[in-house]
Amino acid sequence: MKFVTTALAALACAGTASAFTPNAAFLPKTTSRFNTAMNANVLKLSDPMSEILYKTDVFIFDCDGVIWRGDSLIDGIPETLEKLRAMGKKMFFVTNNSTKSRAGYKKKFDSLGLDIPAEEIFSSSFAAAAYMEQTKFKETGKKVYIIGEVGICEELDLIDVPWIGGPQDADKQPDMGPGGKLDHDEDVGAVIVGFDRTVNYYKIQYAQLCINENENCEFIATNTDAVTHLTDAQEWAGNGSMVGAIKGCTGQEPTVVGKPSPLMIDYLCTKLGLERSRICMVGDRLDTDVLFGTDNGLQSLLVLSGVTSEEKLLSPENTITPDYYADTINDFFLEAPAKVES
Amino acid sequence: SSVVARQRTTSVQNNKTVTCNYSTSAPRMMANVDRLTDPKSFLDELDVFVFDMDGVIWRGDSLIDGVPETLQKLRDEGKQMFFVTNNSTKSRAGYKKKFDNLGLDFIPSNEIFSSSFSAAAYLEMTKFKETGKKVYIVGEVGIGDELDLIGIPWIGGLDDQGKQPPMGPGDRLEHDHDVGAVIVGFDRNFNYYKIQYAQLCINKNPDCKFIATNLDAVTHLTDAQEWAGGGSMVGAIKGCTGRDPTVVGKPSPLMIDYLCDKFGFDRKRICMVGDRLDTDIVFGANNGLQTLLVLSGVTSESKLLSPENKVTPTFYTDSIVDFFADRA
Repeated sequence: MKFVTTALAALACAGTASAFTPNAAFLPKTTSRFNTAMNANVLKLSDPMSEILYKTDVFIFDCDGVIWRGDSLIDGIPETLEKLRAMGKKMFFVTNNSTKSRAGYKKKFDSLGLDIPAEEIFSSSFAAAAYMEQTKFKETGKKVYIIGEVGICEELDLIDVPWIGGPQDADKQPDMGPGGKLDHDEDVGAVIVGFDRTVNYYKIQYAQLCINENENCEFIATNTDAVTHLTDAQEWAGNGSMVGAIKGCTGQEPTVVGKPSPLMIDYLCTKLGLERSRICMVGDRLDTDVLFGTDNGLQSLLVLSGVTSEEKLLSPENTITPDYYADTINDFFLEAPAKVES
Repeated sequence: SSVVARQRTTSVQNNKTVTCNYSTSAPRMMANVDRLTDPKSFLDELDVFVFDMDGVIWRGDSLIDGVPETLQKLRDEGKQMFFVTNNSTKSRAGYKKKFDNLGLDFIPSNEIFSSSFSAAAYLEMTKFKETGKKVYIVGEVGIGDELDLIGIPWIGGLDDQGKQPPMGPGDRLEHDHDVGAVIVGFDRNFNYYKIQYAQLCINKNPDCKFIATNLDAVTHLTDAQEWAGGGSMVGAIKGCTGRDPTVVGKPSPLMIDYLCDKFGFDRKRICMVGDRLDTDIVFGANNGLQTLLVLSGVTSESKLLSPENKVTPTFYTDSIVDFFADRA
């Protein structure tokens, strides 16, 4: 009895199978919308006005991979930014790169032909200074020890917080002979660690002493990016290295002021009274930019003009979902394509 | 000072038995950390000693009083001994010179296990030479010297001190695609060139290993203060690769497994002697050894006995000289 049932079932299946043999005439046309079935919630921007522009008052743009790549402006950007301004949209430009101050970044924008006011630029060097202001560091009367480049130094100068270290410790060596020690300033109340191409053992030891021996000394990181685009030609070890070194000798986790920490968003929203759901974060990295947006109640747009490929975005390993993705921000003003007839 | 035993009271509250631990006026201490009071009995149970060096044998560059005589007496009683250090800056031969300078010339170099040697031993155990690849070293001479002894080609090390990668528009740092492992040890010449080179090897060369000699947060470069240790260099490479290294030094079991495989020791008759709870004692306890914490290094009695400390050595004592205190 069992055998017969099985045989009949096999016949039934075979019959069914032949009815579903793929025939080219019946295959649905493949469009990018069908590719998104791999990761069901990732939608390509196809109707920018209704999908984003009408819902957004403020844009926050990551810089590298969105506005420029290394030292080259991405084509079409100036016109796109002008059109957004003409629509009455506000914008801010954030970067996790702490090597320049806002004023320093303004120079870069100027050299690329983009006339952006410094107040719209949020470098992580500025974020660190904003954090010091929020936490009223100046009232402690203490100093900051900086591992980092001029950007952090300039931003702390602007808010009058005294600091030591930075570029002047670039070529120093501590005294490591018998009985040698590195004397550190006991008035350091915070160590700020940012990307530093002249990081060395002197700086690591100085920071270690401050954090481990000065009471309540804070450990602040501008960002923890593993890699960064110093030049177009390859991926360069990022501030995650400098921060990793200080974590490794203190066992402490830093307060991170740059993306994806909420600090910069909280600062903007508090200062300008913005409504989060009407802000759109635009970036090229899932783990900093998009996460920054989604974790903070913002809309998010991932652009493929930087480090993230469409394949990486849509792969099953990726668990971070932007609201939409697009090739570049110029797509805000592309005509919506005619809907595909199925 | 002796350990204050905790007093317990048991009461019944809401039909549940509740046990409260409190001591009288003394601060709460751990009940089961025993001072070594009968060293001869302890020695009779042991065949092999594994000594940490810094804080046990010497402190920085100064020998701890009474150590040479103690080691000689242990040898006379037929005990075997090994000396381990997480410091990778010297090879075993380099440490032998330090032992000689301190008057411990009766210690042969094959009893010395620096983490530089451990890294080389690990590459031997994993047959790295058969891959035909090279090693990129972030570290000082010790690692390169040990790799030379086993015929493994390497680049980096001291050669990359003072280097700067080209970082102008369009620049890149060229790296050797034949690097099959990056070994990271304590490196006082640490710089961005080395960080970037290691990042490229680990992230771009398929199956490139990431090996760390140790993760110590601080080390005693000099007597005068605590110095940022190998944990910093390793932390930097973790931070730009997102990878965790294979650690060859304490408290990884590698060195103990190597010793036991090679010599066939009974782990219960080996005693790990050290001054650090989180490396030395954990190392011993996790590997089935007896452990002795000495107070001649970085750990104070109050730190050992504080309620925050969760690591329990078999015994503790002031220094290894106490092994013969009852027979002085």
